[in-house]
Parts: sequence; C-alpha cells; structure tokens
Amino acid sequence: MGMSNHVVRPSLLVTTVAFLIAFATDGRAADAKVTITFANWAVAEGTTKPAIDQVIADFEKAHPDIEIKSEAISFSEIARQLALRVRAGNPPDVAQLAGNDTFVIAATGKLEPLNAYVGGDLKSRLKPDAVAGLQYQGKLIALPWTLAPAGFWFNKTLMGKAGLDPEKPPRTIDELMSAMAAIKKAQPDVIPLGLDTTNRPFALQSNWPWMATFGAMPIDGAKDNANTPEMKRYLAWMRELAQKRYIDPGRRIGEFRPLAAQDKVAFTWDQVLLQGVIQSVNKMSDDDFYRHWGVTTQPTGPSGKPYSFEGGHQLVMFTDSKQKKAAWTFIEYLAASADAINKYTLGPGASLPSLSATPGSDIARKLDTPIYHSFTTAIIPTLAAPPFGPAFASASSAIMAGVQQAVTGSESIDDVAKSIQQQLDRR
Amino acid sequence: MERVKWLDSMVMPTVAALALVVGYPIVSTIVLSTQDYNLVATEAARFVGADNYRKLVADPIFWQSLRNTALYTFGSVAISAALGLVFALLMERFVGRRGRVARLLLLTPWAVPFVVIAFLFRYMYLQNGGAINALLLSMGAIAAPISWLNVSTLAMPAVMVANIWAMTPFFFLLLGAALAGIPNEVIESARVDRASAFSMIFRIKLPLLRNALLIGGLLMIIANFNDFAKIWAMTQGGPGYSTTTLVVYVYRQAFENFSFGYASAVGVCWLLLLLAFAIAYLRALRLT
Repeated sequence: MGMSNHVVRPSLLVTTVAFLIAFATDGRAADAKVTITFANWAVAEGTTKPAIDQVIADFEKAHPDIEIKSEAISFSEIARQLALRVRAGNPPDVAQLAGNDTFVIAATGKLEPLNAYVGGDLKSRLKPDAVAGLQYQGKLIALPWTLAPAGFWFNKTLMGKAGLDPEKPPRTIDELMSAMAAIKKAQPDVIPLGLDTTNRPFALQSNWPWMATFGAMPIDGAKDNANTPEMKRYLAWMRELAQKRYIDPGRRIGEFRPLAAQDKVAFTWDQVLLQGVIQSVNKMSDDDFYRHWGVTTQPTGPSGKPYSFEGGHQLVMFTDSKQKKAAWTFIEYLAASADAINKYTLGPGASLPSLSATPGSDIARKLDTPIYHSFTTAIIPTLAAPPFGPAFASASSAIMAGVQQAVTGSESIDDVAKSIQQQLDRR
Repeated sequence: MERVKWLDSMVMPTVAALALVVGYPIVSTIVLSTQDYNLVATEAARFVGADNYRKLVADPIFWQSLRNTALYTFGSVAISAALGLVFALLMERFVGRRGRVARLLLLTPWAVPFVVIAFLFRYMYLQNGGAINALLLSMGAIAAPISWLNVSTLAMPAVMVANIWAMTPFFFLLLGAALAGIPNEVIESARVDRASAFSMIFRIKLPLLRNALLIGGLLMIIANFNDFAKIWAMTQGGPGYSTTTLVVYVYRQAFENFSFGYASAVGVCWLLLLLAFAIAYLRALRLT
C-alpha cells in the first residue's frame, strides 16, 4: 500500500512552501546584485589576464552589488563577434575596443553616447586629445581607457654592435636605410625593422603613418587616392625593404615582440606597451631596459613630417544594456581609478592613462620615465588619425593586399597602385 | 513493378530536420544574395536583384580566387592520391612489427588537427628562424633564407605542401584497404603469366583501384573546396590575393567588409560548384 495521505499532503505542502521561499529569496538576492557582461581581450592574453582579473576583483569588492562577467574574445575577433551580437540582439553591457573597430561598432547605432555620463570632475581630468578622436556624429561613443601611441623603437645594443651611435637613432628615411644596411651587414640574423604587413585593418592603421610621411593618403573620407605618385613612392620603398631583407613580411606586430626581447630586432614600429611585453619576456629591470632601448618619433619621409597612430583601447557601453548605471560605474573605474591605472594601465599594459596625472601623485611618479616622456612630449603631438569607419575596414583589405603585392610580388608598382585603386572603386 | 514511396511518415522527421538545418540557410543565402546588406549599416537591406552577380562577374579577385581554389583543390588531391598510392604499394610487402610501425608513422598526420598543421608549417616556413630554411641553408641548397609564405609565386605551393602532408594518409589508408581487397587469384594468375612489376601495378592493380580512387578523390575534392582553416592560419589569403580561395574571399567579404549581400552571391556560386561535384560523386557511387 502507498504512503498514507497523512504523510503525503503535509510533505507536499512543506515542499511547496520551501520552494516558494527559495525563489522569493533568490529573487531578492538577484535584485540586490546586478551582473555586467564585459567583452574584452585583456582577459584572453597571458600578459594582461592576471592584472585585469585583479582589477575586476578589486572593483567587485568595492561594489558588492555589481558582478562582472568577463567574456574573453581575441583582439582580431572582437569587432566581428560584437557586430554579429548587435544584430542578433544580445550584445554585452560593456566592451573593450580599439582603433577602427570602435567606429565599425559605432556605425551600427548601438553604442550608448557617453556625453551625459562624463561628469565635471572626470571631464576636467580627461586628456582633450584622447576624447576628441572618439566622437561619432557629434557624440562621444567611447571612453578612452589606455593610450598606446606608436613610436620608433631602437635597440641601442644592436646599433652599437653595428658601429652606429646608440643615442642617435635615424631621423629620416635615408638615415634609416643606411642604418639598416649597417645592421644587416654586421648581424645578418637580426631583423632590421619590425613592421606589420599583414592583411587586416590594424595593419593599415599601423602603416598609415608611413604612408603619410611619404605624402600618401589612399583613402580620405569619400575619396580614394591609391593611384598617386606619393602612394607609388611608398610602395616602392616597401618593395626595397623586402628585397634587401630589412623586414620580415607576414608577421603580425605581436610576433616581433618576443624577438625584440631576444635582441633579434633592431628597430621596430610599435606601441608604448612594447616595454611591458619585453620585460615580461626577459625580466629586464627598468634601468636595464632604458639602457637597452630608446623610442623616438618616426623617421621622416619626403613630406618632412613624422607621424604616429593612436593604438590605445577604449571602453564602450551598448544601448541594449539593462544595467547602464552599473556599466558606467565599471567603465569609470577601469579608466579613472588609481587602482586600475596602477595595476593594469601602467602595469602589464605599460600604456599611458587617458587622464592627466595629478602632479606629485603616485601615478605621476610612475610616468616619470624616459620612455613615457618621449611619448608624451615628442610622439603624441605627431598623432594622425586615419578616416576610421566601415569604409576603412573594407578599404584595408584592398590596400594591405596591394602592399603585400608590392612587398612580395613582381608586378610593376604602377600596376599594384592601379589594382588597389580599382579594388577601392569597386567597393 | 511496385514503385517505392520515398516520401512517407518515416522520412518526414529527417526531411524536416534537413529543411531546417540545410534548406533554410540555403534559401536565406539566395535571398541575401539579391540584397544590398551591410551588417554594420543602420540602413535596412535593399533588394538589388542581380546586381551582386553582375559585380561578381566583373570582379577580378573573384576569378582569381576561383583559379586559386581549382589549383589548391585539384593539385592537392592529385598529388596526395599519387603519394598515397605509392605508399600503399610499398607497404603491401612490409609486414610484421616494422610494417606496423611504418604504417603508424604514415597515418600520424591524419590525427593532427588542421589548425595545428597550419601553425606547424607556418613556423617551419618562417624566413628568420624557420626549420626549412635552416635545413636548406645547412645543406647548401639555398644561399639565403626564402620567405616561403610571403612570395606570391611560392605561397600557394607552400600551403599545398602542408595540405598534401595532411591528406596523404587518407589515400594511403583507402588504397591500402582496396589493395588488400584484390582477390589473390588475380595476383597469382598474373604471376603465373610472368607479369612484370610494371604490368602488375599498371595493368592489374590500378584498374582494380579505380573505384576507390574515384570515390576518395571526389570526397577529398569536396572537402578541400571548403578548406579554410589551413589557408587562413598560414597566409590569410595573402600575400596579396595569391592564396585567396573562394572560402577565404567569402569570409573577408562577410566578416571584414560586412557585405553580407555580396558575400552571399559568392556563396551561391560556390554552392552551385559544390553541387556539381556532389552530383558527380553520387553518380560515381551508383556506378560502383
């Protein structure tokens, strides 16, 4: 015979009440704590993961009502994945973006304008140049998180071994070619110049200053100008670099960094974060690093002017976020808190904060290094922003394919330039 | 003769699943191919009829990617099949423990994931520090390191070498099994008639391997037509467009340019080409 009703009915009643209490309690707990999804590559990369995990843990400790769910997406995939998620209606609350990717996602119309969120105090502390470049249709669509302009790095030790003055890096393209010839002769196994010639939007952004110093501007808003004498001179120079084996075509910029740490690259065109990466590989002290490496402005080409690009990272909030207040609290913490700046931005990120440091503060002391001075006083004033946006992304494929044809192919430079222009016209 | 119904209640669940998983994406792609649709644009998709197809016909990169696809696919399959046949014939007489070890070594590339193969060869091909250049330099075969993946004329052959290395074990396995299936009486009769080694291979064994070669070849052609991982990991379709195949071109159009309409048009052409091979495969199956 089964259990009697005297047992079954009370048991069912108790169980039902217990479930109701549990759900009610969970609901109250859920109301008390919000979860913010944060799509980023900082957590996907070995160098930066420990620091960003610590910063997130510190934030959660300081804000027990906010939980951060970090979503690791690689740098090269993040724009693609976010564009698809925006269309699918499930973007994250906050995302880390950089360069053209920020403007590609902005073009979807799904980035929350941040003008209203940036209060007086934060506004006064943000570097004006950092904010000016993040306007889209008159609105601030991203908060600058880290600043990482590119500079011309020179390995003083390798220069010395090649008979060059380590304190006098090349200032013009002609001086650069002579220096690289000396380095190639003295140390055939060393790559004279680390330059990213891969076919991706970041590579075009990276090479943009080199095109600019030759006076070339293959895309300029609505106009495409790839078939110009200036662009041909730039392409001819790239071919000369490859023929003389001064560059190692096909390598991403990140692949030169471990080689630079092993003294296998003499000059490299890379961002301020190179110091952090090199030191994480070879454990060099700061003083040793400054004796070994220097950074300066780009050697100038026919235009007579040096240029640079801003490769720093930004933080964006999506309009679909249901936790905008909490999302902004997190964004502001990452960009402006002393904790995040000390542990992440100036830590393994080895980048510059987007805020003006308070004189005498701990952060100001950390920024008092030869490398940071060089970036702040000499390189940042040479920043030249390419015409970012979806058109830049589609043009980058045509332009960088053309650069690769110039570097590795045998067609005439005229034909390569014409081919780039035809591809741009066909977009 | 009673005609067997092919569409009945037992088949319906499969048809429904196929309609959802295969049919819907194909129809969506065809519809998208008639639209001007950019994933990141705020404007809605716009019907443009055959404009994307007209653009495709006039696009030199599309034709180059089609040529690259043909070279990559047919070249890799032909060489892999030939190598697989050679190894299968050589291993026929290699029995015992050494034979087993040799077979294991020959089959090992088949077990390596495609992306690992791609990165393995990518680092072996490096101009500075790559194992292949180091070996050739030490042998005196070359005077200076070669940039295998960054010279337009060398990049495609270099990628094909990696593909052939990965695919040969398949043909070795398939043809080895087919060789083992040749009746002993046929071989013995040929020996009694004093057939030479050449005759044995080309007049006796190869004709009997024809069906296996045909099926295996068609299968690998279809598989290689869709090969993205190796090419993307090694060269990303570069330098220039020298290793850009149809699948790489579709990927760039869809996920870098976000031109879903145009990418869909290229995808439809790709689908039609693959359908042709699939029909050939089915016909070959029926013949065997």
